[in-house]
Amino acid sequence: MTVTDQGLLEREKDSMTLNMGPQHPSTHGVFRVVLEMDGELVDSAEPHIGFLHTGIEKTAEAKRYVHVIPMTDRLDYLSPPGNNLAFCLTVEKLLQTDVPERAKFLRVIMCELARMASHLVWLATHALDIGAMTVFLYCWREREMILDLNEEISGVRMMTSYIRLGGVVKDSTPGWLQSVRNFVEYFPAKIDEYERLLTRNPIWLDRTQNIGVMSREEAINWSMSGPVLRASGVNWDLRKQRPYSGYENFEFEVPTGKNGDIYDRYLVRVAELRQSREIVRQALKNLPAGPYKVDDNKISLPNRKTLKSSMEALIHHFKLVSEGVSVPKGETYVPIEGPRGEVGFYIVSDGSNVPSRVKLRAPSFMAIPGMCKMMEGCFIADVVGIIGSIDIVMGEVDR
Amino acid sequence: MTSEEIVEKIKTDQGKAINSSEVNLGDSVIFVGAERIHDIAEYLKNDPDLDFDYLSNITGTDYLNEEREPRFEVVYELHSIEKNHSIRIRVGLDEEDPTIPTVSDLWKGALYPERELFDMFGFNIKGHSNLSRLIMPEEWEGNPLRKDYPLTIEDVTFSHNREFKQDLVKSKPRTR
Repeated sequence: MTVTDQGLLEREKDSMTLNMGPQHPSTHGVFRVVLEMDGELVDSAEPHIGFLHTGIEKTAEAKRYVHVIPMTDRLDYLSPPGNNLAFCLTVEKLLQTDVPERAKFLRVIMCELARMASHLVWLATHALDIGAMTVFLYCWREREMILDLNEEISGVRMMTSYIRLGGVVKDSTPGWLQSVRNFVEYFPAKIDEYERLLTRNPIWLDRTQNIGVMSREEAINWSMSGPVLRASGVNWDLRKQRPYSGYENFEFEVPTGKNGDIYDRYLVRVAELRQSREIVRQALKNLPAGPYKVDDNKISLPNRKTLKSSMEALIHHFKLVSEGVSVPKGETYVPIEGPRGEVGFYIVSDGSNVPSRVKLRAPSFMAIPGMCKMMEGCFIADVVGIIGSIDIVMGEVDR
Repeated sequence: MTSEEIVEKIKTDQGKAINSSEVNLGDSVIFVGAERIHDIAEYLKNDPDLDFDYLSNITGTDYLNEEREPRFEVVYELHSIEKNHSIRIRVGLDEEDPTIPTVSDLWKGALYPERELFDMFGFNIKGHSNLSRLIMPEEWEGNPLRKDYPLTIEDVTFSHNREFKQDLVKSKPRTR
C-alpha cells in the first residue's frame, strides 16, 4: 500500500497476503503457510515450520540407544510402532543381529494396527476439514479399539515403545491375540460404512477430484512418498520392494491411483486399510511359536527366571541396564514403509553405547515443498483439502 | 542391480571422479569430493542403467569427537524407482569452508533437506534458491546439530560427556 497525493491508500498489486496457521485447526498441528492470494486463487504458498521443534535428533546424541526408542514414539505420534521398528532395524543392522520369527510377526501386527489407526485419524480429520462430520465420529470409534489393543499389550494407549532392540518388550497373550482377531473380523464392515458415506458422495467428489493433482514425474522429483506417491501411479511400497521384518511372508496388494489427485489419495488409503487388515489376519493365522526376543544377553535383557539362578545372567542384566548396548562403529540407513511413506533412520555409531548421530528421514518433512507446489493455482477452500490429503504430522516435520 | 554391480559400474565409468567406494552392510556407498558431487549426481540420475530418479534423504554429520579429516560429512540416499536399487553418497566437507553445490536442480525434493543442513550445520549450499533458517527462528545464532553446540546451557545432573560439555558452557556465546 502507498499513500497517494490526496492522502488515499492505493493498492500496488492486485494480490493479498493471507496467513494461515499455526493455530488453524485444519493445518493438522502447528503448520503455518503464508498464501499470496489473487482473489480466491492461490498465487504462491510459503510454508513455515519449526513450531514443534523438540530437538530429538540432538537429544538422541546424549542418550543411550535404548533411551532413544521412547523418543522415536514422539516423532510420528500417530504411528509410534513404525518409528520404533525403523530405529530398531537400523541398530540391529549395525549389530548384525536377526530377531526371531515370532518377534517379526508381532512387530508386523503392531505396525499394521498402527497404520490402520493412523489412516483412521487421517480419514477422520480430512473428512472433517472438508465438512463430513459423521466420518470423524465413526473413525474415532474404531481407532479407540486399536488404542485399547495397544494398552492391553504394552500398557500404553499411544506411545507404546513395544518394539525394542532384539525383539519386542514382552510376549503376546492368548487373550490379546483373540482381541485382535475379533477386531480384524469386525473392521471390514466398518470400512464399508466409511466408503458408503464418502466414495460416491457428490459433495466429496466435487471437493476432491482433479484438485491438488501431482503427476507421476513430479511426485518422484519432489520426493513424495507413501500413499501420495502411489496415488500418482508409482508402484513403490518398501514392504514389497525391500521386504523387512518378514513382510515377504505376507500376501497383499499395493493399491495405486491414476490421477494423483486428492480423491485418488483417499482411495489408496482406504484400500490400504483393507490390505493392512489382511496382513494382520495372515499374521495372526501364521504366528509362529518360539522366543519373542533374541537370546543374546548383550542386546536384550535375560529372562526374569534365570536371574535367580544364573550369576552370568545377573551380570548381563546389570551391565545392560547400567551401560546399555554398545553398537559397533559404522553408519547405516534402513528405510521402512510407514503410514505416510518412507521412514528411515540414518544412524552413525562411534562404537560406544551412545549414538553419534541419529537422523530421521521423515516423509511429512519431505512432502511439504511438494504440497505447497500443489496449492499454487487452486482455490483457497481447497488448501485445507490438500493439506489433509498429504497427511502431515508435525512431530516428525520439526523433530 | 546388486550393490556390488552398482559400485563396479560407477568405478568403471567415473573411476577418476570418485574418491573411493565400498559395499557397507549390503549397501553401495561411494565417497565423492564436494567439488564433484553435482557432476556425479547428474551422472547417477541420467545414466540409463543406474537411473537414480528418487532422492530419499540428505543428512549432515559432524565427526568432531572422532578427530578425523574432514570434520563434516553430507550423506545422500538415492533410490531408483524403476530399477529398485539404492546408493549412498558420502561427501566430506572442510571445517573452514563447508561449501557444497545444491542438487535441487536435479531433484526438487532436495530443497528442504539442504535448507535444514544450512540451518542445523551451517553449511553453505551454493546455488540454493532460498537459503534461510528452516526449523530454528530467523534470529537464532549458532547451528544446533554441530557437536560443539552444547545440548543445554544449564548444568545437567548426569551426562555422558560432562567435562566436555562444561568447557563448552563456559565458552558458549549467547544463543539469542
